Amino acid sequence: MPQPAVIFDGVWKKFRMGERHDSLRDLIPSLLKRRDTAALADQEFWAVQDVSFEVQPGEALGIIGPNGAGKSTALKLLTRILKPTRGTCLVRGRVGALIEVAAGFHPDLTGRENIFLQGAIMGMTRPEITRKLDEIIDFSGIAPFINTQVKRYSSGMQARLGFSVAAHLNPDVLFVDEVLSVGDMNFQAKCLERMHTQLKAGVTLIFVSHNLQAVTSLCNRALVMGKGAKLFDGPSEEALDVYIKASQTSSQKYGLTQPRFTLLSSEFVRDDGRPALTLTPHAPCTLRATFECLESADHCQFGVELERTRDLLYCYGVTSDSLGQPFITCHKGEIVTVEFALTAHLARGHYRMNLNIRNPIHAQFYMSAENVAHFTIEDQRTYAGVAELNPRCDIFKTATSEHVSTAVEVP
Amino acid sequence: MRLRTDAREMMLEQFDYPELIYQTPARDLILRYKQTIMGFRRAIFMPLLNTAVFSVIFMRVAPIDTGVPYPLFAYCGLLTWNFFSSSLKFAVTSLTGNSTLVTKVYFPREVFPFSAVIVSLVDLAVGSMVLVGLMVWYHVGVSPALLFLPVVVLVQVAFTLGIALLLAMGNLFFRDVKYLFEVVVTVWMFATSVVYPVEMVGGKLGTLMRLNPMTPIIEGYRDVILYGRLPGLSFLGAAIVALVTFAFGWVLFHRAEFQFAENI
Repeated sequence: MPQPAVIFDGVWKKFRMGERHDSLRDLIPSLLKRRDTAALADQEFWAVQDVSFEVQPGEALGIIGPNGAGKSTALKLLTRILKPTRGTCLVRGRVGALIEVAAGFHPDLTGRENIFLQGAIMGMTRPEITRKLDEIIDFSGIAPFINTQVKRYSSGMQARLGFSVAAHLNPDVLFVDEVLSVGDMNFQAKCLERMHTQLKAGVTLIFVSHNLQAVTSLCNRALVMGKGAKLFDGPSEEALDVYIKASQTSSQKYGLTQPRFTLLSSEFVRDDGRPALTLTPHAPCTLRATFECLESADHCQFGVELERTRDLLYCYGVTSDSLGQPFITCHKGEIVTVEFALTAHLARGHYRMNLNIRNPIHAQFYMSAENVAHFTIEDQRTYAGVAELNPRCDIFKTATSEHVSTAVEVP
Repeated sequence: MRLRTDAREMMLEQFDYPELIYQTPARDLILRYKQTIMGFRRAIFMPLLNTAVFSVIFMRVAPIDTGVPYPLFAYCGLLTWNFFSSSLKFAVTSLTGNSTLVTKVYFPREVFPFSAVIVSLVDLAVGSMVLVGLMVWYHVGVSPALLFLPVVVLVQVAFTLGIALLLAMGNLFFRDVKYLFEVVVTVWMFATSVVYPVEMVGGKLGTLMRLNPMTPIIEGYRDVILYGRLPGLSFLGAAIVALVTFAFGWVLFHRAEFQFAENI
């Protein structure tokens, strides 16, 4: 059994809120006064509360959670910028951090000079930097500007150069914090590819991101954090559900104050009746939901929406009346079951479904429920986008070059 | 026990970042000497100007006997004092001036105050060329005692590093340390044998001033360069103080290091 590459054991981190004394002039009177203003003790809060996890060498762990969950603090503790108030946190091997990749740059130095400076800050040796210099410049894609002062760079150029240096560090453990938000799509793809390569080479990865798709594609395991505590630790797909449920804002979406229905149960099943957690493209499936009517309602129209989880892209929406069902009237205490049979012509990815009941005549929502079901579309083929068009491609050759040349000679 | 682990960590960290202690001073030097006038102004012009001013005071207004031509005495003192004071001047804001790095990236933070001292050491080397010129002008020769010069430099560097670490850390926690330092360093210069020998100050004040470790260091330079003799016993005392200051400063810095990011 190899030793874990990263150990985070019962870690607590405390921060203070409010204004702090940062001068001697303020400190001296406050020391004298301290006795009679003991009640004004510093307000403190826990940014990280009793979080424990271990990462084995070569494993990839994603950390997800809403803002303020303590993700970045956890990463700062791991990279030794902060020290835990309680507990231990240990990383074995050379540490690489893709956090604020351009932080070490000096604006008055050229790109090339900054590569050496940044490399040194990350713990590279000079022969190492010299050896990788061309590769770094090439990866960043800013070769023509490498002898220009960094202050003349755009922020995107700075970030690309910073990422390039960091990406060539060859660490044992790599920490990545939301750096993929910089650079265009091409560069982001390049960065992800680079991380994949490093993972294959046996690097241990800890990846903090709001890009859930990137987390699931890179990491098999993910940690969900909320308000400084660990909510879940396990397979990425399950972690996504926990995260989405945790960040759900009940039925506030449409300003609904008094729902007239309550969702009793919902299930999403495949053709064979088994729960549809994973599907292949074009698989038939059924969403079945049962509601209880809390207060009589007329002209009920049932709607379903499909969203991509990663970015909440609205993929599809349909209502019962457009599928040939009449508006119905429900009375208090009645139980209604609605079934939507669908075919998942979807590209691979993770999706979720929302349900709502409304009165289209008064444009009034009777109820709405988010994330009543969620599923993953799995596919071996590679393609981009959100729909699966069942493509086929043929390539024919119809003319040889002689054909073309004779055709030219004719006139 | 704890001291031993600290010392080991402190050393190992330097090996983990082998290039850092070279690149950071290099960065500071490139930036400073890119504006060449400014670079040489600090290294040569300021000690020369001060030498001229004090030469007028101590040769015309209140003549004193220093054993060697007074400008030589003064320049030697001012040059080496300048190394001390400018190291500290850059060190005191070295952490706060790099706050983005301190809060975002992990690396041994000692490198900033160290770099401030190394850069000033380069200035010292540049400025010492003028000293050689002055010695030729006044026909002052050297003796084998000059071989002791590296020891004097090392003692001063150790003392300067120790104070630099403490000041950089102090200014991080309390931002007015910078202003306090400016006042203290001016007074400190006149409490040291920079422009006049402090033995001339008698009484209780004189006794107090002899506790200042900078005096034996500056006099040590003059002994080995100008007077051609080995430094006295007081230099040994200063050397011990210097090493203790350095060790104390570094250990304290190392222990407080993890609080830098959240207090800066």
